Amino acid sequence: MKVELYNYIKAAQKMNRRQVLKGSAAIGAVAMMPKTALAGAHGNVRAEILKIPGVGAGSPTDSDWQKVGEMCLGATKGNVSEGEFEGVELTFMGLNNQNLHNFLFRGFLKPWEAYTGAKINWIDLAQADYNARLQQSIATGTADFDIIEMGAPFEGDVLGKGMASEMPEWVKEQIDMDDYVDYLKAPVGTWGGKTYRVSIDGDCHTFAYRKDYFGEGSITGRDVPTTWQEINQVSKDLIGKEDPLTGLPAHGYLDPLKGWGGFGFYFLENRASAYAKHPNSPAWLFEPDTMKPMVNNPAWVQAIQDVMDLIDAGAYPTDQINADPGTTAFQQFLAGTGSMLMWWGDVGSNARTSDTSVVGDVAGFGVNPASERVYNAKAGAWEETRNEAPNMAYIGWGVYVMATVEGDEKKKKAAWSAAAHLGGKDLSLWASAYPSGFQPYRNSHFQYDEWEEAGYERAYVEDYLGSNADSYNHPNAAIEPRIPGIFQYYSVAEDELAKGYAGQYGSAQETADAIAAAWEKITDQIGRDSQISVYKASLGM
Amino acid sequence: MNTDGDLLHTVTADNISDSRKRLGKLIVWSTALCCMMLALLQTMYQAGRIGIGFETWRPILYAYMLWATALCAAQVIVNGEKGKRTLFVLPAALFVVSLVVFPLLFALYISFTDWNLASPNGPQPNGWDNLVQMWNDSFYWNALTNMVYYVLAVCVEYVIAFGLALLLNAQIRARKFFRVVFLLPLMLSPVAVSWMIGKSMLEVRFGPISRIIRDLGGEPTFFGDPEIARFMIMAMDAWTFIPFMMIMLLAGLQALPSEILEASKVDGASGWQSFKEIIFPLMLPVSVTAIVIRIIFKLKLADIIINVTSGGPGGATDSVTSFIFREYRDRSNVGYGTLLAMVYLVLIVIFVTLFLKLVSRWMERPA
Amino acid sequence: MSVIFKDHELGLRVKSKWWASRTAIYLTLLIWAVVCLFPIFWTITTSFKMAPDVMKGNLIPWWDFTPRWKGWESIGLSPRLIGEVSTVREEFFKRFWNSAVVSISASLLAVILGSLAAYGLSRFSYKFGFMKNSDISFFFLSQMILPPVVLALPFLVLYKSLGLLDSRIGLILLYTLMVLPIVIWIMRDQFQGIPIELEEAALVDGLGIWGAFMQIVMPIALPGMVAAFILSLVLCWNEYFFAALLTSTNATTLPVMVASQTGSQGINWWSMAALSSAAILPLVIVAIALEKYIIKGMAAGAVK
Repeated sequence: MKVELYNYIKAAQKMNRRQVLKGSAAIGAVAMMPKTALAGAHGNVRAEILKIPGVGAGSPTDSDWQKVGEMCLGATKGNVSEGEFEGVELTFMGLNNQNLHNFLFRGFLKPWEAYTGAKINWIDLAQADYNARLQQSIATGTADFDIIEMGAPFEGDVLGKGMASEMPEWVKEQIDMDDYVDYLKAPVGTWGGKTYRVSIDGDCHTFAYRKDYFGEGSITGRDVPTTWQEINQVSKDLIGKEDPLTGLPAHGYLDPLKGWGGFGFYFLENRASAYAKHPNSPAWLFEPDTMKPMVNNPAWVQAIQDVMDLIDAGAYPTDQINADPGTTAFQQFLAGTGSMLMWWGDVGSNARTSDTSVVGDVAGFGVNPASERVYNAKAGAWEETRNEAPNMAYIGWGVYVMATVEGDEKKKKAAWSAAAHLGGKDLSLWASAYPSGFQPYRNSHFQYDEWEEAGYERAYVEDYLGSNADSYNHPNAAIEPRIPGIFQYYSVAEDELAKGYAGQYGSAQETADAIAAAWEKITDQIGRDSQISVYKASLGM
Repeated sequence: MNTDGDLLHTVTADNISDSRKRLGKLIVWSTALCCMMLALLQTMYQAGRIGIGFETWRPILYAYMLWATALCAAQVIVNGEKGKRTLFVLPAALFVVSLVVFPLLFALYISFTDWNLASPNGPQPNGWDNLVQMWNDSFYWNALTNMVYYVLAVCVEYVIAFGLALLLNAQIRARKFFRVVFLLPLMLSPVAVSWMIGKSMLEVRFGPISRIIRDLGGEPTFFGDPEIARFMIMAMDAWTFIPFMMIMLLAGLQALPSEILEASKVDGASGWQSFKEIIFPLMLPVSVTAIVIRIIFKLKLADIIINVTSGGPGGATDSVTSFIFREYRDRSNVGYGTLLAMVYLVLIVIFVTLFLKLVSRWMERPA
Repeated sequence: MSVIFKDHELGLRVKSKWWASRTAIYLTLLIWAVVCLFPIFWTITTSFKMAPDVMKGNLIPWWDFTPRWKGWESIGLSPRLIGEVSTVREEFFKRFWNSAVVSISASLLAVILGSLAAYGLSRFSYKFGFMKNSDISFFFLSQMILPPVVLALPFLVLYKSLGLLDSRIGLILLYTLMVLPIVIWIMRDQFQGIPIELEEAALVDGLGIWGAFMQIVMPIALPGMVAAFILSLVLCWNEYFFAALLTSTNATTLPVMVASQTGSQGINWWSMAALSSAAILPLVIVAIALEKYIIKGMAAGAVK
């Protein structure tokens, strides 16, 4: 993430040579210091890594990643002696997402490899292949990797089948798990009471909007909407108006109407969570006792109906039926089409830099909009109370160690040490501040002073990071179930939705029923009883 | 094997002694035995019956290759000249058979199971359930209907390709330049075509094509309307594969005997007449080859659809392969997906067989 | 000459007609050349664009946007980064090399096996069980019909047990299988066009059938083989489905890397364009160098 955050540093920060010298001296000292002394040097490292690559050096390159990896080795050195893993070979499977992710890890882990003597082989997958590849590896027993970068939704597939290795105590200490934001703490990352996940990322959908559309004298003439009812109204009111920035037709909220390998369903969830996620239960996709889909209850149907109404009203840009979430975010919102969007944190930060988007400084952020009424599934009736439920879409990437390392203590320690290095407290600060593909996910990432000191504008950091922090720690956060095959449910749902939006089904209810029927079929295929128990476990029920 | 049908007759004056024959058979059988023994051993090892075995089946592969080589050699040893003739086809046939038989049988098995990769129980045979499900799956039939349109588009591609081939065959300057340029689209990978053309160039808001259409006063839509979306997919696919048909046709044109063309000119035939009466009939065999191969490529059309429209809007652009792909890969519904693919395979084989029969009958008449 | 002088009218008409047809021919040629080149031009220029240039649809370098090395930087191939370590570049070259090895070997193997089979099928009549020549031909062709998804999981299982996963050999075998039918189809037409008398003469001179094939037929059929080889090369070079499925660390190829340029952080048009351009380059060079063989070789024998 954060091309523009990084640019902020570049612009604002004047690198001071003495500071640099001090910094490298500190690293040298860290290397020699015993474990207890590390705490004191801690603050220093955090300030210093935020200065890499430094002013005017262009985007961080490989050598910068390596430098950061080197400077953050302190915690590893406390637990591992030099050359301890000589001769160990590990295989790491992860994404090649726009030449980040795995490539970033390579840079971060190079100094780790040099210090510990272990060697890492890499498997890079395209994001589109990831789910399929993982499933096929599991099913055919071709899973031959030791460490995997994986999103929490797949925990049901991997942890549920006992394929991962439990996290040792020393790792928990090294990565300071108490620092995680609330929703990333157990049950996320755990299975049957055991902990498996080293978080390296936090995910939630936040609301991004165009400031120039709202307020006194703007084309809508009203305040930023905070409920879906208002959003739908604004979107309809905007039909026929002109965008103040580009002069092209103005549009309201941008719903992706096409699937995106399962990810498209999150965007219906954004709408539905406020209607369907009642504070009285963590379940909002399935009935916990029967696995009966809730997707065709009145709350979800209302969400689908909202979209269909907007289609009928002509509120979307041309060809929206072929717009997947990537299109709405990067080719519409950032290019100046449409005024409201739900997305992961990075679209907000992308919007800020004028050289990656044309909407420039007119983007603002908020939490997932609320609803004026909420459906109580237990009572089977709508309640006229305001309800807010941020959607923790995808729950973020984590690093897991596979059970292939069991039985070889040296290898196991090496794998966990590598994972802990990537999930380190300081390293993650750098990753959340520079273009990396990862978001902040620790409470310590939200120390605004640290960001300000590094050269960020206070108001901006509070607006952008604040919306994330509010969502992460929200008491009624909508957390997705980590059940096996969850992406199959999403994939079939977005397929049926696309058909519904194209008018292949008679109504929103019929579309929702088609999804529910398909979900029932998948549940039966995978095994209803096991799904029920896993579903309950994943929600901590 | 009889030699009556051979186009190239050879004198078979072989005198193969019995001992030589025996030697040949011995080699084949001994290597086969060795291969089977190893396979048996490995099966037992994997089943846990015995303690010694190999880590993978690789050694059995080597034994199999040894047997294959022995089989080829034995052809010559046992059958002499006749064997040498068999030797032309045998390696390719062995190669294909050995690579295809196991996967096909395995796929056949999968297609009659209920196998969702996420299911902890693995494949569960479920009889005809998948077939019944297919029968009631209106979106599979929809995809099959789309395939008819896609295949029909080959006719248009053929006309364009023929036209281009004629142009390139005419007396023109910079012929080499045009040839290379016309060939280039074939080189771009489908992945690149779908992203750089389908998603970038044909982008409704900022793509260059939409800008031109807007400048001309139109409102561009490429993938919103079912008919237009299907046409755009056809166009992108055509763009990649027209060069392929074009070079085949051009090659055919250049091989036409020039005397015939000269003669027709002397007879005072107009351009159109000589094309209709002479060039086109002579070009029929090449045309058929080009069209058959092109149709087969067309039947596998998937990459562009998967990346650009995912079959939308509402399944209007779905090809069978892209439909199966979503079922199979996005939903890991392997059993049902494989059955759909097997049915499709059967349909294609029937279709292509009929088509070839029809063509060969039709080809005997003209010219 | 004299005719034209006498009949001025007619001469002019012929001439203007000639000009009209010339113009029409060149116009069509030029239009199609634009159709062919524009997407490639778009791809190459996009690799030099920044995000706003892409979003505004800027078209002509230096005129409506300033070319930057952005796309090439992302794969470590810009002037700024060429001296630095870059894992992305290493990865790119590794994949480039694998792609080259795999596609060249597979194409070679397919041309060798395919030519032999095609020659046999065009000269002798076989009978394997119930299968005659036309059935054998169709059997080979039918391999091309197989939808790849049918084979995905079976191949995964097969290759796992043979220890061929993530190996170049495994990919080579599979790609050979994939392009063999088309090679056989092309070469059969090729051999049918070569007069049998040539071989008969050679046989009379005391050569065996293999000798005749190697010394007489092969040289004549060489252009066809080159054409088949190039076609196979293109198909193998661009193959995505099985490459994504069967490789992980050692045998990875380029197309998967191209597809990796899109994900949850949007689409890196510039780096995707740079990778696509880099991937197409070797094929373009091959096309320019061997273009005359392609035309000469394709189906040259089919017209009898």
